[in-house]
Amino acid sequence: MQVGGFNNVNQIGALAQQNQLENLVSVSIRGWTNATQQDLLNFISRKTRISVRNSVVQGDTITGYVSPQEADQLVKFSGYRFAGNSLKIQKADGGNPNANTNDTITVLRSVLLRRYNAQTRMLDLGNLFNDPELVQHGMAPKNVNTQSKMFPAMMKVASKEPTMVVESINLSDNNLRDVNGVTTLAQTFPHLKNLCVANNSISRFHSLEVWKNKFKELRELLMMNNPITSDRLYRTEMLRIFPKLVVLDNVVVRDEQKLQSIFRLPVEQTQFFFEDNGLASSSTDFVANFLNLWDTNRMQLMGLYTPQSQFSLSVDSSVPAATVPNAQTTPTFGYYLPFSRNVSKISSDKTIQERLRMGPEAIYEVFGSLPMTKHFLQEQPHAYSVQAWTFSQVQGFVITLHGHFEETAKPEIDKNKSSQGAPASRGRRYNHGFTSTANVKLSPKSFDRTMVLVPNPNGSIIIASDTLTIRPFCDSAWAKPPTASQLPPPQQQPQQALQPQPQPLQPQAQMNVPLSHTPLNAPAVPGQLQGTVGAGVLQLPPEVQAKLSPIQLELLQKLHLETKLNAQYTYMLAEQSMWSYENAIQGFRNSANNLPAEAFV
Amino acid sequence: MNRQPQIVETFIKKVLAHFDEADPAKLQLFLQLFNPHQCKIIFNSQPFGQAVQFLQAWQTQVVLTQHIITAVDFHVIPGTGTIVCNVNCKVRFDESGKDKSGLDSAIPANGPDSRAGPGNRGLDKPRPIWGTYYGVSLQLVLEDRIFTNDLNGVISSMNYTIVFKPSDSLMNI
Repeated sequence: MQVGGFNNVNQIGALAQQNQLENLVSVSIRGWTNATQQDLLNFISRKTRISVRNSVVQGDTITGYVSPQEADQLVKFSGYRFAGNSLKIQKADGGNPNANTNDTITVLRSVLLRRYNAQTRMLDLGNLFNDPELVQHGMAPKNVNTQSKMFPAMMKVASKEPTMVVESINLSDNNLRDVNGVTTLAQTFPHLKNLCVANNSISRFHSLEVWKNKFKELRELLMMNNPITSDRLYRTEMLRIFPKLVVLDNVVVRDEQKLQSIFRLPVEQTQFFFEDNGLASSSTDFVANFLNLWDTNRMQLMGLYTPQSQFSLSVDSSVPAATVPNAQTTPTFGYYLPFSRNVSKISSDKTIQERLRMGPEAIYEVFGSLPMTKHFLQEQPHAYSVQAWTFSQVQGFVITLHGHFEETAKPEIDKNKSSQGAPASRGRRYNHGFTSTANVKLSPKSFDRTMVLVPNPNGSIIIASDTLTIRPFCDSAWAKPPTASQLPPPQQQPQQALQPQPQPLQPQAQMNVPLSHTPLNAPAVPGQLQGTVGAGVLQLPPEVQAKLSPIQLELLQKLHLETKLNAQYTYMLAEQSMWSYENAIQGFRNSANNLPAEAFV
Repeated sequence: MNRQPQIVETFIKKVLAHFDEADPAKLQLFLQLFNPHQCKIIFNSQPFGQAVQFLQAWQTQVVLTQHIITAVDFHVIPGTGTIVCNVNCKVRFDESGKDKSGLDSAIPANGPDSRAGPGNRGLDKPRPIWGTYYGVSLQLVLEDRIFTNDLNGVISSMNYTIVFKPSDSLMNI
């Protein structure tokens, strides 16, 4: 079954050229939807003695080729009854079959754009049956069958419109008996916030099951005038199918604050943590230099390790779920496994003992046996996360780095060339030994590396402990996908790889109020689009800034981004709510409509 | 016979079991593992000043979890009496929409159909609905007293970082 038929465009183009050489023209046939393509062609050739060649299905239309004379005859059969419908046969204009598909796309696109309101981010797909434009082009859905073809096509066109940011969709008055014809809505607009399917004939919960857990941000649903709403279990079922539904048919069915707190962790994940500013700059420098040498010349690193230094690596071979973005499904750890000291997997004490390396020589033996790598700290700073904190017992600090690397070449030291007189001519490639080529295929990997660093009195640094976890590659959790309502990232100096955002640990308890996650449904400021407009970095007078702790400054910045209030009002709001983010946002919501216009940036 | 690896691994499992504990009465037992004077806790790159704050937040603001160890490695730092552990595990969250005490956010329907009270805290405990696994990287700095079976206040720092997340989870991290 073809969906939309746009994947046929190239094929049609080729056919069109070929057919034009043979001097054929194309005809389009509609109104055959209750039968198969072959049934229709058989029917036509029986009735008209004309065989339609090279036919292709596009949506609800079959396009085929006949000679010009045949085309004239064929058009006369338009209106013929077939499988309970009357056929609609047209000559395609100019013999250019591409016109048809492009035409379809153009019409759908113009319909979509006409029905989209950028101000409200609403796409109104109500009452498509009577859309004059669709009717005029014979594309208006006449029944469930044609609808199930037209709608996916429409969604496909919509998904290619980057300018359309859709938060709300109206599907009312579409004679929907179920949502099977419009299921693709969930793929095209997974972040939909509001959906209206009022005035349809949806009567069974089962048909909505395809949307279970699909619209994870669906907040409001309108289903008035559907038989389903009179079911005793209607509310319970809707709550079950849409886990984050707050408003159902204009009735509040979930406590929004409670809902958000349930699906949220106490703090929002950030990319970096440094206990203080000094640590921020020194550890970012250290990490950048270390990885640079790790990629280019590992021998150069050996000066950082003393005879007491320890290194070990462990392989975490558990494969991330398929729904983790870009997760490797068949990772290979052939080069790492001989050194892996994952004590949850290894039972032999002797092995655990052997795989802990102490002193530069023993450590380098492993370093040299690992594949050559390339890290992307400069190119993709967002792909790395760092935490650094002081470690008083060693008078040093701990740095943990999470990220990924590419394996660029085989290890320098070839473990598999056993020194026991193996002929040199038998390199790895012809070695049918333990490591099969599949096992040592080079590929990207994700990793976590933790180092205990001790500064020397002379200003140098030694690595007391170095543990490395190698795991299958996948996208990181801290990388926030850009959403429509996201703000521009903080100013980045291009020459600096990592821009730490230091947050000192505050010993006083009350300063450590965790800042909670931004609510999903921030109040919209009247007359202003939410999102990247207006709010930027908060400018405070220096004398005010001097009195505030970094945590307070961050709170102000968050409030400012959230409320779009200017500096003065943001500060007032924070003061009045005792520097609690939750209280401030609540207070803002209660009074937003009474604030003067100049309160906003 | 070196028992250190087993002791470390058992201890990590104990810590993760505490994370997954639903009963608030057991919170005190978890708290006893943390150094009461000086303890650094970093969760998803956000610091917590004291263990008690973090544990309260975990108990009251995080739904039920299930952790599974996937990798453990550790170094005893000579001459300091400390151990650095590098742990990887998987975690999944209860995505049924209920918090640890079984309360959900649904507003009881008024009318004859309002069955159980708020949150349906009936007699039978609702089963958690587990979401897809997240990946976690966990670093612990411990005192080597754990080798002599003394677990009081042995955790002097803990760094818990979610390193990968599934796209089909309802959680916002």
